[in-house]
Amino acid sequence: MSNALHGLLLAGGKSSRMGCDKASMVLGDDGLTQAGRALGILRQFCGPVYLSLREGQPVPAGGEGVPVLHDVPGAQGPLSGILAAFHQAPGAAWLVLACDLPLVHPGLLARLAARYAEDPSSPFIAYASALDGLPEPLCAIYGPSAFPVLGRHAARGHFCPRHILLEESVPLLALPEADTGALTNLNTPQDVAGVRTGAREVRVAWFGHLADQRGLREERVATTAETAGDFRREMSDLHRLDLDSGVVRVAVNDEFALDGHRLQAGDRVVFLSPFAGG
Amino acid sequence: MFLLGNHPIDPAPLRRELAADDCGGFVFFEGRVRDHHEGRTVTGLHYEAYRELAEKEGRKLVREIALKHGVRAAAIHATGDLTPGDLAVWVGAAAAHREEAFAACRELIDAIKARVPIWKRESYAGGSSGWVEGCACAARHGEGQ
Repeated sequence: MSNALHGLLLAGGKSSRMGCDKASMVLGDDGLTQAGRALGILRQFCGPVYLSLREGQPVPAGGEGVPVLHDVPGAQGPLSGILAAFHQAPGAAWLVLACDLPLVHPGLLARLAARYAEDPSSPFIAYASALDGLPEPLCAIYGPSAFPVLGRHAARGHFCPRHILLEESVPLLALPEADTGALTNLNTPQDVAGVRTGAREVRVAWFGHLADQRGLREERVATTAETAGDFRREMSDLHRLDLDSGVVRVAVNDEFALDGHRLQAGDRVVFLSPFAGG
Repeated sequence: MFLLGNHPIDPAPLRRELAADDCGGFVFFEGRVRDHHEGRTVTGLHYEAYRELAEKEGRKLVREIALKHGVRAAAIHATGDLTPGDLAVWVGAAAAHREEAFAACRELIDAIKARVPIWKRESYAGGSSGWVEGCACAARHGEGQ
């Protein structure tokens, strides 16, 4: 198994916005904690699997008996956990997964593993976010050649894995059409409520007097609305905006849309008040 | 061709582009910032566009109307902060004869106002400002959908 991927579950976050340990939360009907579920997925692809924790942090429920790697000094956040993994096994390729991705599934990791197998000299194999095209560093493979690169960034005080992957111009995999929301992470109790009810995240842009009324120009919204029309009613109720369908049109992904248009995760929705050009 | 440009816009290249030896009629319309609106003194206008959709829809309108009237047509609309007298929009149509050029030019400026996602905020003497209410007819008739 010397060539097998090593698995690393990142569970060292402080979950401060959630108010409780994210890794120990049970979200699905399977009764598994987030840590237990993610470890199960990692075991499908990896030889040894490790749990990354902060020094002194208790093992989350579902992670009992899994060998623990503690964050190394000299880095912060997830990068610290990834560096600890390379200190443990510098010659290994690490399949890294965060514990707060409740929609991640084995198929996504299988694609990463297949891509890595095609070119084991790659330092990084990662997806592009469906929302903004930026790298998704916490569901990714870090090959042995990534170790010195990460070390170099850490020495310069660069601790954000997403920025590191950006700076390294890592070629990114596109998420499959049906999985554009699969790497949505959980930070707040609202996010959890969204996952429990099947919400998807869309981007909303505001223009003209609607932007003034809403008080912002861009936002991301987790919604359970199935269609543009449902979403129109939801936003209008939530923010007391006049989005009457007889006056305000809607566009999805830069095309005019009808209220029956079905929304997908990652869609860009714009409500259009009557135009006044010319 | 349909363009959105930050103020100031220059229609000269479009004008050159449309002029052709087989076109005996060339009609253009210039929409300029007016210094009054509903009895108030206007000191400036801010145009805001939903660029991606405005460019797409504007190009579509120009193509449709050029085809319908058998003319060469183009338009450019300004975004940003303008003051009275500034050029806000330029629409041109060139054709073998003047009738179709007049008709196409008129139809294109009306269509741009109704169907291209651009909004304007007027600033008035005294310092107040407000978004100008557009015509909701495009939504009611489901145009462009």
